[in-house]
Amino acid sequence: MIELTNVSYSYTDIPALNNISLNISKGESVTLMGPNGSGKSTLLKLVNGIITPDSGSYRFGGEEITKKKLHDNRFSKLFHQKIGFVFQNSQTQLFCPEVYDEIAFGPRQMGFIESEVEKRVKDCLNLLNIEALKNRQPYHLSEGEKRKVAIACVLSLNPEVLVLDEPLNGLDPRTQRWLVEFLINFNKGGKTLITSTHNLEFLQEISDRGILFDEDHCIAADMEMDKILEDIDLLKRVNLVDEYYHKHVGSKHSHFHLHNY
Amino acid sequence: MTEKDIPEWLLKNENYVPQLDRDTFVNKSITSLLSVLSHIRRQSGHKTDLFGINAAFSVIFTILFVVLLSVSRGLVFVITANVYLLFMLCFLKSEDIVVILKTSFGVAIFTFIILLPTALYGNFYSIAMITPKVFASVTAVNILSRSTRWNSITGALKTFFIPDIFILVLDITIMYITMLGEFSLDMLYALRLRSVGKNKSKHTSLAGIAGTMFIKSKEMAEDTYAAMECRGFTGEYRIYRKFKFSFADALYIIANVLIILCFIYFGRYLRK
Ligand SMILES: Nc1ncnc2c1ncn2[C@@H]1O[C@H](COP(=O)(O)OP(=O)(O)OP(=O)(O)O)[C@@H](O)[C@H]1O
Ligand SMILES: [Mg+2]
Repeated sequence: MIELTNVSYSYTDIPALNNISLNISKGESVTLMGPNGSGKSTLLKLVNGIITPDSGSYRFGGEEITKKKLHDNRFSKLFHQKIGFVFQNSQTQLFCPEVYDEIAFGPRQMGFIESEVEKRVKDCLNLLNIEALKNRQPYHLSEGEKRKVAIACVLSLNPEVLVLDEPLNGLDPRTQRWLVEFLINFNKGGKTLITSTHNLEFLQEISDRGILFDEDHCIAADMEMDKILEDIDLLKRVNLVDEYYHKHVGSKHSHFHLHNY
Repeated sequence: MTEKDIPEWLLKNENYVPQLDRDTFVNKSITSLLSVLSHIRRQSGHKTDLFGINAAFSVIFTILFVVLLSVSRGLVFVITANVYLLFMLCFLKSEDIVVILKTSFGVAIFTFIILLPTALYGNFYSIAMITPKVFASVTAVNILSRSTRWNSITGALKTFFIPDIFILVLDITIMYITMLGEFSLDMLYALRLRSVGKNKSKHTSLAGIAGTMFIKSKEMAEDTYAAMECRGFTGEYRIYRKFKFSFADALYIIANVLIILCFIYFGRYLRK
């Protein structure tokens, strides 16, 4: 469904992606990992058509995505309906005066009739358990509430691919747990899921495939999640774990955690 | 990461006595400006519209009210208007009342002092008319801004056939003003927290804040635009707001019609 071949991208003179090749098929759940500044967010932006490759090609559903095509309104709408993006910073993603309008924005842009829009908004509010926020102003919400609203906005378009940039950041443990469950179910429903995270705790649950970036903005590994998590040397090399991380042996599911001393 | 030792000075307690450093006038005024900006956030947090009156009506009538006030030449009307406003004021929350009255009195007293020389030359008319007029106008606008949410006001613009895309831009602008206000306030706090000792270069630090704000706003605008595109925005936009008419609206309209009648009877000519 998503095919990247030899994609490179740089912000004027700062390189952010270096010769990336990647295939993601329908229904997969993939997680991007890597240290700060390795290019995860940049890759997700590229996948969503916010930026286009400097060199190499990006194909979505068999069709090459180029700047020229994205300038065509009909193509752009069709493409953006199929892929939804929750930004790393939900703040900038919300621009309407009320949460209701915010969630309704996408469906209205798609030209749905108002009764259908209302149904979708209601369902999304309900699904994310944020009915109480309906008439609040998005920019006055807390971080977690904003994230939920941002997710609702994207879901109301019913995308085939859901892209989330560090979705667990800044959420309290219970909300994290809830979001993880939600993403798992979403993926089970046959939708494609692409996330990025630093949070090793939930990785195995969310995704079965991991893509590891290194500091040179290349892909260091692309394999099954279990294998990546076992390869401590690899994780150390890309700075995702340090010596204070260790693995519990003997517990039913093994995981990494941080000792704070 | 772990190889680097923490330098010794970082582990000791600092033995530091700050020198006297007065906040400059510029610094103070910027702080107060920013606190006004961040006030928009606090006030609009959970506020509902005044008695649920449709914002379109409040906006129309407030504008009309101020216009009538300024063209009126009868003292009776001006006094009636003031009575009406004070009556409206009673329905607001106490802290709002305090703030509104403070501003209105402040402005009125200022006007009074400015006009005082004319009274000394025997022209009592202007001081007696203009001062209450100013008081009423400021109060009316303040009541509107204190009791109606921003988005209701911008939404009300739609009733006046203002293009939807313009309202969207206005909404986003207001959002940015509040957000940037908060950001700069945060940065100002950071500056405060870090400027221990005599900081002679506060002006340059403040200039730095302004510069960062500029870049920040540009980046945020780019991100927001990307987000809009991701949700199918291609240039056209429609605002949907339901237009409902309530009992409170009816009362409000009646009250305002009475005010207008009052203007027609008392306001137009100077009664001698
Ligand atoms: N708008 C921008 N302008 C210039 N350089 C940028 C911009 N955005 C990102 N970069 C640079 O591109 C590189 C990759 O950034 P990116 O945001 O993709 O990293 P990331 O892997 O998402 O990091 P993090 O884990 O911190 O979110 C970094 O070196 C960053 O400094
Ligand atoms: Mg990132």
